[in-house]
Amino acid sequence: MSEPEHALAAKSAVQLNDEMLSSMRTPTWRWYGLAFFLGAVVAWGISAFTYQMMTDLSVTGLDRPVMWGIYIANFVFWVGLSHSGTMVSAILRLSQANWRRPILRAAEAMTVFSITVAGLFPVIHLGRNWVVYYFMPYPNQRGLWPNFRSPLLWDATAITTYIIGSSLFLYLGMLPDLAVVRDRASGWRKKIYAILAMGWRGTAREWVVFRKASTLMAALIIPVAVSVHSIVAWDFSVTVVPGWHSTIFPPYFVIGAITSGVAAVITLMIIIRRVFHLEEYLTPLHFDNMGKLLLVICLLWAYAYFVEVQTTWYAHEPIEWEVWSFMAGKYTPFLILMLISNAVLPIFALCFKKIRRSVKAMLVITVLINIAMFIERYLIIVPSLSHKNMPFIWGSYSPSWVELSVTAAAFCGFTLMYVLFAKFFPMVAVTDVRELGVRHSDIRLGRTEVHTISEEE
Amino acid sequence: METLGIFKDVETATRAVDGLVKAGFSEETITSLTSAPYPDGVIVKTDQRTWFRWMSMAGGIFGACAGFLLAAGTAYVYPVQTGDKPIIAYFPTGIVTYELTMLFSMLGAIVGMFVEMKLPPRKERPYDPAIADGFIGISVSVSAGDQTNRAESLLKESGALRITREETP
Repeated sequence: MSEPEHALAAKSAVQLNDEMLSSMRTPTWRWYGLAFFLGAVVAWGISAFTYQMMTDLSVTGLDRPVMWGIYIANFVFWVGLSHSGTMVSAILRLSQANWRRPILRAAEAMTVFSITVAGLFPVIHLGRNWVVYYFMPYPNQRGLWPNFRSPLLWDATAITTYIIGSSLFLYLGMLPDLAVVRDRASGWRKKIYAILAMGWRGTAREWVVFRKASTLMAALIIPVAVSVHSIVAWDFSVTVVPGWHSTIFPPYFVIGAITSGVAAVITLMIIIRRVFHLEEYLTPLHFDNMGKLLLVICLLWAYAYFVEVQTTWYAHEPIEWEVWSFMAGKYTPFLILMLISNAVLPIFALCFKKIRRSVKAMLVITVLINIAMFIERYLIIVPSLSHKNMPFIWGSYSPSWVELSVTAAAFCGFTLMYVLFAKFFPMVAVTDVRELGVRHSDIRLGRTEVHTISEEE
Repeated sequence: METLGIFKDVETATRAVDGLVKAGFSEETITSLTSAPYPDGVIVKTDQRTWFRWMSMAGGIFGACAGFLLAAGTAYVYPVQTGDKPIIAYFPTGIVTYELTMLFSMLGAIVGMFVEMKLPPRKERPYDPAIADGFIGISVSVSAGDQTNRAESLLKESGALRITREETP
């Protein structure tokens, strides 16, 4: 048991509840200001999208041959970001890593909000958004039937499964915490939390079933998470577009998604720690452990990228090489930034414990990783489409103000959901952290006293 | 009928459980109410067996059938001949079947969990909000009225801060 965990174990339940539920106190003017700003950007994005809908896709930068642009880059990025939250939480739950406890909620909430944002982009990207219900697989008089052979329909199925699964996983983890909040709330809030807590009392039997359900859900959600990003990769790899048609795409996308997601969880941990004064709960130990995880994932990402590029380079297949040369030539600064931020910098820096334990350094590294991951998505999509055909139809693409506005709204919308969530729900898994206290004991071993945590077989 | 005693810590709560067991109350009728999970046996012993995972499996089987019927059944009922490709596409059918299997497995797990926990309850049960702040509840479920009185006095003797009784209908 580490020192910070020992310090938490020494606190009373009331003290722990007070501190961990501090994010739910009455909002300050700064909170309102932030929510207003984020809401304003979202409103701007919605008006840009409405303008696009009222006009047509000519207000975007999309044109033959590049018909997938920043909207699809956004889609892949947000799906990727959603990947790790639930997955990290599930893996840490299954492996019974005690340091996981303060991180779980931030990670699980991130998944739900980012997959929600991701799910909007295919709809935003449609030419005729108002007939989006044509996607729905039901017999109809229009004579249309969704093509099950299309990866886009697989996407719809997988994302629906993942949104529902992640939301259930988040809710399941929150159930005992909602009961704590219910017992401390009053007025209309108490009524709402009472409904959400479903009458949870914390009987010994409820805890037995709850623990087993958490483990089962963790085991079920991991293969779903892997399948979602594999299916997103198949959107690309089952086509015969040069640069996309590659067998490594599904694992490469999954690795990229985990890189992006782990980095985002760390960024959010840093922000939450600072804003809600949770320094005692999100300690350097947590950043150290997450840093090690990120290091491994970055190494895997670098390996996968190397394999992909090396195979293309070695084969030198003309059309494949043309796409790669075009990407490396036209987007050189982006490519360099991506390679440095995703591989060189984190792999070098995260080898050092001092850096892994430095909150400021981790903030810089993780934000850079996600900027690089967005660039990576863009560089996968746009260059391949620009030079996929015969030279007379080659083209280029740059996003319009409408697309950039919608992108900004996506980032602000995600943050707004997080800000609202933090005000209404516990941002730290209260009962998970408090469990440490009840399981901790100091035992004499030889000449010293050691801190221990009891675990059941 | 359920009687609940509230204790300030684990030591007094376990003393109460020991007292109840010695007085002849069976372990199955006694449970603890806590806001953090204690290892089994620290306060009370509970049956560790659960059946809700069968509901998850049933959900999975239902999902697999639903997914297969949605993808393969649709292709069969509304055939679209594309070149020499089979009417029922293997990979897409597999993917849709897999996703729906997992979706209904998860739904089955959650529904099963609530059913096994008997949540939400049909009637109000004794509870004390102090449990959220670390107090321990010891609850005894007995049928006869005189046993309820006995349990109540045993809980009080062991140091219960207050007693709550299930209201009779």
